[in-house]
Amino acid sequence: MTGKGVSYGVSKINNIIDVKALTKVFNGKVRAVDGISFTVREGEILGFLGPNGAGKTTTLNMLATLLRLTNGSATVNGHNILEDADAVRRSIGYVFQDPTLDLELTGRENLDFHGRLYGLERIVRLQRIEEMLEVVQLTDRADDLVKTYSGGMKRRLEIARGLLHHPKVLFLDEPTLGLDPQTRRSIWEHIQRLNQEKNVTIILTTHYTEEADYLCERILIIDFGKIVALDTPSKLKARLEGDVVSLVFKDPAVIVRIRPLLEEKEWIRSINVVASGNSYARMSHMIQMKRGMSVGIGIGGIIPGMDSGSIGGRGKIPKQVQQMLAKGMADENGQRGRDEGAKCLNLLVDNGGHRIPEIVKLVDEAGVILESVELHKPTLDDVFLSVTGRDIRDERGSFMEMARRHRIVQQARGRRIRG
Amino acid sequence: MVQPLSGQAIYVVLLRELKRYWRAKARIISSVAQSFFFLVVFGLGLGSFVDGFGSINYLSYMAPGVIGMGLLFGSVFSGVSVIFDRQFGFMKEMLVAPVSRTSIILGKILGGAATASIQGIILMAVAGIMGAFTPTIMFVAGAFAAVGVMLLITAGFVGLGVAIGSTLNDFHAFQLLSTFVIWPLFMLSGVFFPIDVVPLPLQVAMLFDPMFYGVELLRWCLLGAGTPLLGPLGWLISLGVLIGFNALMIGVGTYLFSRAQV
Repeated sequence: MTGKGVSYGVSKINNIIDVKALTKVFNGKVRAVDGISFTVREGEILGFLGPNGAGKTTTLNMLATLLRLTNGSATVNGHNILEDADAVRRSIGYVFQDPTLDLELTGRENLDFHGRLYGLERIVRLQRIEEMLEVVQLTDRADDLVKTYSGGMKRRLEIARGLLHHPKVLFLDEPTLGLDPQTRRSIWEHIQRLNQEKNVTIILTTHYTEEADYLCERILIIDFGKIVALDTPSKLKARLEGDVVSLVFKDPAVIVRIRPLLEEKEWIRSINVVASGNSYARMSHMIQMKRGMSVGIGIGGIIPGMDSGSIGGRGKIPKQVQQMLAKGMADENGQRGRDEGAKCLNLLVDNGGHRIPEIVKLVDEAGVILESVELHKPTLDDVFLSVTGRDIRDERGSFMEMARRHRIVQQARGRRIRG
Repeated sequence: MVQPLSGQAIYVVLLRELKRYWRAKARIISSVAQSFFFLVVFGLGLGSFVDGFGSINYLSYMAPGVIGMGLLFGSVFSGVSVIFDRQFGFMKEMLVAPVSRTSIILGKILGGAATASIQGIILMAVAGIMGAFTPTIMFVAGAFAAVGVMLLITAGFVGLGVAIGSTLNDFHAFQLLSTFVIWPLFMLSGVFFPIDVVPLPLQVAMLFDPMFYGVELLRWCLLGAGTPLLGPLGWLISLGVLIGFNALMIGVGTYLFSRAQV
């Protein structure tokens, strides 16, 4: 995780991917990808961060030559994606968002199929299969049918398969979607290790800010098919100087009243209204980050695809926080619906710690009851909010909502994959 | 739609079909059993009150048809399984590889033809054990020829299945496919009754059923005779029709598959 990604667009020789004004229009009207340009350096981990339907997968599919571009151009490993599709395909490995394993075959057979399809000689093939099984720690389950694997094992097998033909670039489309926090961790570690040991350039898409933050050297925030930010996570966060102070109110109606008062203060640089459930999710996420790699009680495993961190580890979580977490989760699940009442104000403040007493006083004098105050350094969530004007967690919604949207988007696109 | 073919890719898709076929023991058993019931109930049951045709008894008459039935069902469903490949995502794995769609679909067609023909060979053995065939030198030669005919029949029908599977997008259409495609093809193929004794409209309908020619050809191989309607060169006519049908179906299947959405 160095800052080597900053030499963006400088040297052509080291750029394994070079994208110029890439555009995809579906049905002549939906601009899924809208003239994006970027380069990727060899050995880099680049993350596409954005809500569903932002154009992440469409971009990957075009780069993988599965989808024909409408406009622009791109090269992968020096090969033009339009003119030399086969060479591009040999240069890439693609782990799709939805599982693409043959469940009726064993893990080893799935890899073998892949190796043969990519024309690997028998000896090389057998060697690499063993090696990749080792890397993703599936050696002892290699001869079991894939239908007996857990979600995380299947994902690992897919990643192993994507790397079997030694691609220069690995595309990972939502690599940890629907996995529980522990499995997500282990996938992250695998991805990092593969990147370091094999020097594989990795492009991954995600709508988990913590995943982008943890894994990626650079993050490309994409929204409505356009690049809205591209930089290292730390630089993106550093753009938002100061601290974020979140104010959670018991009565949401007061936000209208309190907001003008806050807007008068010149030291408050921006004010955003976000759902408080998100604030809880973020808190759980912060707790998870602080406790590092230790294994926690998963609270995210109830609905696949739902995002929330895990708590536990040191057992120091205050009861209040736990209640908040539980409440936040219910909101996320959509079982309680998105309660208009549960709102909080996010203030971007210079020197936030020192300003808290002042803020509390101001709120108090206005006769408003404050439920809680939270102070944190800007996270990628805040960055996303500031560059898109929307909360990525709102965009995400519940799992069912996500699945529904996914279907709708697919239907709207009527997308074709070239073969 | 000229795309380079990759022998390796064709082979590996074929290999996968064989592996999956071999694993699905329940499917093998149930389809063999189904044909067996037909042979027993109709061959022996109906046979005890239908006289048969000349020197050929009813069981013998029916046996090639029942083998044909196994071939038909096996091959169409094998082709239609592209729907499942798509549904379960494996199709993407094949399509992102540096091989042409034509190679993939040819592998699929060969694999489907091979598995359905294995099915046919099992049925041929079952019918033989039941005494449907006269074990002569001629018959042994005919049986080998029949295996070739099976591959010919099934390749075309896997192509048909692929064409259907590439066009349909959901499982619900499966029932329709079975009722309106497979069963008519089967019932008009002359399994139970000879074409020359039925009313003209039915005769015409049967002549439009490609499976009819498949069954005819199997009868020529296994019984040494076909329907008088097509004359002594009936086998040649049937062979010609089948080859034409194959070319058409493999072409259409490949075309529709290469255009299909994933």
